[in-house]
Order: sequence, then structure tokens, then C-alpha cells
Amino acid sequence: MSATAETAATAPARPAGGSRLDRVPPRVLSSAVGIAVLLLWELLARTVYAGSYRLSPPTAVVVEFFEFRGLYLRNLWHSTKTAAWGFLWGNLAAMALAVASTLVPWLRRSIGAVVLTVFCLPFIAIAPILRLITGPGNATPIALSALAVVFTTYVAALLGFDLAPGSALDVVRSYGRGRLTAFRSVRVRASVPALFAGLQIAAPAAFLGAVVGEFTGAHRGLGILTVRALGALQTDRIWVIAVMATIVATGGYLAIGALGRYLCPWSPALDVGAVPVPHAEPGLLNRLAGLLAPIAVVFVFWYAFLWVFGIEPFFAKTPVDVWAELFSVSEAPETRSIIFGALGTTLWTTSLGYVVGLVGALASALVFILVPWLERALMPIAVALRSIPIIVTTPVIILFVGRGLLTTTAIVAVMSFFPTLVNCYTAMTRTPEGILDVLRSYDATSTANVRNAYLPTSVPALLASARIAVPTSLLGATVAEWLATGDGIGAVMVTAFTRNDFKILWVSVAVLTIVAVIGYWLVAAFELRTLERMAPGISR
Amino acid sequence: MARRGAPVDVVGVGRTFALAGDEVTALSGFDMHVPAGGFIALIGPSGCGKSTALRLVAGLDTPDEGTIDMDGSSPDEMRRGQRIGVAFQDPSLLPWRTVTTNIRLALELVGRRHDTKAVDELVELVGLQGFEKARPSQLSGGMRQRVAIARSLVTKPDLLLLDEPFGALDALTRQQLNDELQRIWTARGTTTILVTHSIPEAVYVADEVLVMSPRPGSVVARHTIGFERPRTRELLLTDRFHAEVEAVSASLHRSEGQVVQLDTDPS
Repeated sequence: MSATAETAATAPARPAGGSRLDRVPPRVLSSAVGIAVLLLWELLARTVYAGSYRLSPPTAVVVEFFEFRGLYLRNLWHSTKTAAWGFLWGNLAAMALAVASTLVPWLRRSIGAVVLTVFCLPFIAIAPILRLITGPGNATPIALSALAVVFTTYVAALLGFDLAPGSALDVVRSYGRGRLTAFRSVRVRASVPALFAGLQIAAPAAFLGAVVGEFTGAHRGLGILTVRALGALQTDRIWVIAVMATIVATGGYLAIGALGRYLCPWSPALDVGAVPVPHAEPGLLNRLAGLLAPIAVVFVFWYAFLWVFGIEPFFAKTPVDVWAELFSVSEAPETRSIIFGALGTTLWTTSLGYVVGLVGALASALVFILVPWLERALMPIAVALRSIPIIVTTPVIILFVGRGLLTTTAIVAVMSFFPTLVNCYTAMTRTPEGILDVLRSYDATSTANVRNAYLPTSVPALLASARIAVPTSLLGATVAEWLATGDGIGAVMVTAFTRNDFKILWVSVAVLTIVAVIGYWLVAAFELRTLERMAPGISR
Repeated sequence: MARRGAPVDVVGVGRTFALAGDEVTALSGFDMHVPAGGFIALIGPSGCGKSTALRLVAGLDTPDEGTIDMDGSSPDEMRRGQRIGVAFQDPSLLPWRTVTTNIRLALELVGRRHDTKAVDELVELVGLQGFEKARPSQLSGGMRQRVAIARSLVTKPDLLLLDEPFGALDALTRQQLNDELQRIWTARGTTTILVTHSIPEAVYVADEVLVMSPRPGSVVARHTIGFERPRTRELLLTDRFHAEVEAVSASLHRSEGQVVQLDTDPS
């Protein structure tokens, strides 16, 4: 909270329900809630869920950890090392791309398209493809971990470079210096706060990439340990792994946040979740070029990837091969019915979870804003959970919910819920005090406050979260299907993987990526239109 | 002229804020009497508690000591009775609403959303015809302030509270809005309290100017302004106007010196 002395002195507390709980210090309140949750968890695990393989009591988790601590710490260390390498390479690549996009503006759109495409890849299915190049070692998890951070860091760094004050850039220009000088002397420094906000998100994302990479046949690491434990129904083991992954990922998130605050104490917390959408250029020709050029670049990258690594044709499929598999070879109708049938199932369960997650998050944010003591008790937990790579906890959800279609829905809902909740609530708290004062001066009802202030101010955050949640939801869904449910396109991919059917694998990856990119752009277009309609001129 | 406003009596009001372990007394022993339909201007150095006083009268905050009475009602009762109109330095318009619907917001909040005539009248009164469908982002600063003023007036409040509503505007626009404010006030007779930094503005529009001391704020001088109404811009050029401005200015400077005396001689 960076309220200045002035505003702190003049702004009264939010309209509270006058509850006595409002006076309990937040730390005490959230600790009490945490302890209550642990006790309830222990109780449920020992009674209702005893012997059901669904829920391990916290005490059993601790005992299990200490009993096999050598095994756990060895694998945790391995995965953390993998994630650290991925974090390093991914962020270096992302920053280099952001620098190129800033210095050479006409490259920006194409680089952006490639980075978005990478973000939309179904990571779980590209692991086997990467493994063709890297062999059985640790390179695939490192590569996936790197790919997992590229998008957010690229967007954050770009935002940071763009946030450089225009007047300072004009000063550089007025001395006759060019883009490079402006970049060195102004933009780099100005980008630090936004960059750190991006790196903070990248820490859990790198861990996610590493573990997902290990899901598909590594020799060591938490990912492969999880897959084995799932197969053997070792409930305690899965819970231990989930808890360890949570602690390490959250630790990375907090450590980088602290480093960022230490390096730039003057800057307020930035939310990279609310990244603005890029604008389309006016004119049909420009728009067409803007659409086709990035697609062409993505295809060039695809061919370049196959060519550079010299993958054998049996494994390597070009865009033309994928097209042929789907539309021209004799088995094409069969392939189409398998792929699109499974895709239908995946999209149905995913969109259900997506909508439930978003709507639930918005509703919870509104409840938190209207009932302050509830917010103080639960929000710290929500903030902590947001920083967890939920995918790492997928096995826990699989155990708890079971292996049906609902599992996918539940995982997608949980994944979209926490970031959206935190983003929407933060946006609501930034409702200008002046507007709230006007509402208060007419003794407005809670409903009127929600309708006129809190809901509209949270719309940009909601839409930005919804946009980012499209690819992450599909990732969550495919991981759940791959590991557990046996439904949807994730199951098609795992079958193809075990049969070495690289045709189906490539087709699935291509189709899923295209679906995610289209979904992302549909939400982005809706976002742009809504913001322009709501408040023309101030949406960006 | 119909006098329909509520009288305001503020007696011995004090307000202290807790600030990072420290206590800041914003107001202490603050007295103010505004007759029904009166126009009072509050003036004082930065941070003297002018805005705090206004927020207390608006029922947006409660005093630690002293009483505020308006025609037998407390500020909170006035607020709950929806008899107050406010406009602040920041116009605080809803960016997703148009000029018309921003003004109508106040009517919606008091449950009279269908009073379109009142909205149309005010759009005309503040000179925004032709901009009814514009959003705040498409308006100039002065126009946004006019929307905020129109919103504060549309419910026909018994008490109008203005906290430097023209603070961020250029001198010309400011003068124009002061003329309009005076015109509206003359037509409606709403009790009005205006917080301002500008001495000429206070002298130009108010019946009485209250000069406040630095923190903790209290009223240290009262100047009754006897100029006949309607006041016009010619008044600004007269010697008696300048004399009045000088007098208020002198009080203001004396008030700043008084802090030192208060420390040695707490009377």
C-alpha cells in the first residue's frame, strides 16, 4: 500500500459493515483462517476421506516428507535447477526480443505473433517433439521452462520500454540523438519496475515448464516422481510434491518481488496481468498485412525449426504435412473425426471451467470489497495461491475430484479463478475516492456502488485476465487430460505419444495452438471494443 | 427570492487522524454558522483542514468532538435524506457515462431517474448544450467541472458543498464559472459552502468569508461581504473590491503568524 500521508489522513476507511472483525489485525486474521483450514483438512482426511486415496492429512504429509526426505530433496533440487536454467534462458530470449521490438518497430508485430504462438503451444505435447532433438537428458524440461516464461517477460519488458516518459525521450531527440541513445539512457532504466513485475510471474512459470517437461519421460525431477506416484496411487507422495512445489514457486515469486522493490523503491506495484491490447492499424490493406505477416513468420519459424535441427521426416511434420493429414490423405476424414471430436470435448469442458472461474472470481472480488473483514482474512491466501503454478498441483486435484470430465473443468476453473480474483479486486480498490465520495454523499446502496463504481472499474482487469486465461486454460485442460481423464484432445495426444504416432501429435499441437491463438484474439477484440465503448480515449 | 436551503450550525468541532502511529489534529474548536440560503466561503493556508470541515458537514466523516446541526438534522441524517449536493476539485465523473447520464447519476441515486427535465435544464444552465452525448474524456477540464456542478445541483439539494471545484482551471474559465455559480445560487437560494484557495474568488461570490488558521484549523476571522447582487465583473476593478481582498488577505497572513502565539499562549 503506497498511500501518501495526505490521502491516508483525509480518506476514511471504506464503508465497513461495522463488524468487530474489522479491528482484528490482518496477519492475525489470515493466520487464524490458515490454521482453521489445516485443522479442517486434517479432520476431513481422517474421517470423511479416510482410506479414499483422495486427501492426505497434513500430519501424514509431514511424516511422509521426513521419511523420504533424501528422495524428495534430490528431486526438488533437480527440478529447481532445471527451472533456474529455463528462467535464465527464457528471460534472456524474451528481453532480447523486446529490445529488438523496441529498436526496430516494424518487427514488433511479427515478434509479438511468434511469442504469442509460443505461449499458446500445448506444452505437454511438445515435450515429446522436443525430446526428438534433445535426447533423453534434461534439455527438454529446460527448453519448456524457458518457453513458459518468454511471453510474460516479453510483454512486461515491452511495456516497461514503452512506459518511458515521452518528455524524456524528446529531450534526447532535441540533442540530435537517435533511437539507440534514447533506448540506452531512458528506456532501459524506465523499464525496470515493469520488467520485475514480469520476472516475478516468470518464476513460478519456469517451475511449471520444468515440471510439465518432466511429466513426459524425464529420469529425475518432481514431474516424473508425480507421474509414478499417480500411477501407484501414492496419495501422501503427491501431496508432498504439491506442497514442495508450492513453497519453491511462491518463494521465487516473493524473492523476485522483494528484489524489485529493493531496486526501485519509488515505483508502485505494477500489474502485468493488465497488459494493454495492441491496436489494429487502420485501413483494410494494413489490417490484412498485419494479420498475414505474423502468420507467415510463424510458418517460417516452423520450417526453420525442422531444418536447423535436421529432424528425420518420420518425426518431423511441416505445415504442408499437417494440412495433408487433415484434409488430403486417404485417412484424413478419420483423423479429422478423431481430432475435432476430441477437441469438441476439450473445448466444452474447458470453456465451462473458464466461465465458472471468471464469474466466480468477479463475484468473490465484489464480496471482498463489500465485506472488508472477509477480504482481510482470505485475500492473503488468494494472493499466495495466485503465485502457484496450478498445473503443478493438478495431480492433487485429480486425486480429489476423480478422473472424470469434471476434473478438467475443475482444474481450468481453479487456474483462471485466482489471477482474475486478485486482478479484479486490485482494480476495484483503485476506484477513485472522489467517485466513492459522490456516491456516499447520496447515501448510495451497496448495489448502486457496485453498479456505478466497483463493477465498471474492474472491467479492464477482468477482460485482460480473461484474455491471458485462454491459453493457460487450454494448457491446464490438456495436462489434466494427458495425466488423468482419458478424454479430449489431451488423451488423443498421449495415445499418439505412446504409439509414436507423430502425425497425430503434430496435427493436435497445430490445431490446439491455432485454437488458443484465435481464442486469445477473440477475447482481445472484444476487450478493445468494450473498452472503447465504455470510455473512448482512455482505454489505453 | 425563495429561500429554501437549510441553515448550518457548527460548534466546537474537532477532528484528529491517526497517521502511522502519529496523531494529526486537522480541526480544533471549529465554529461556523451559515444562515438558510447563505453563501459562505472558507479560506485558509494549505492543509488547514478546510476539506476536512467540508467532509464533516457532508456526513462523509464524523467529528471527534463538537456538534454539527442543520435545521435539526445531523450531517449523516442530511446525507441519508439525500439533501446534500457535493462537487470536489476532482470532478469525479464516471468515465463510461455521458454528460447527461453523469448528471442523471445523482437522480438515479435518490430514486428520481425519470426527471429528465431537471437534467435538460441543468445542461443548459451550465452551458453544455450540444455536448449531451459526450464522454468526460472528450471534454475540457472546465466542461468536466461544469458537469460536476450540474450533478451536484440536479437533485435540488438543501445544502451545496463545493471543495475547490474550480481549482484546476485557468483564470478565465474560473471567472466564467464563478459568474454561473452566482447566477445559479441566486436563482435557487441553496445554502452553499465553498472551500477555495483564491481570495478574490471568495470575496466575489460569498456573503461571508471565513478565514482559517493553519493546522489545527479553526476560524480566526470573519469578513461579511456587503456587495449588492448580482455582482458583475466590473466589481473586480473597483477599489472597494480590492480593499475587501486586502482585508481578507491581511487576516490570512495574521492567521499564519498566530500559530507561534498559540504555542506560547494557549488562550
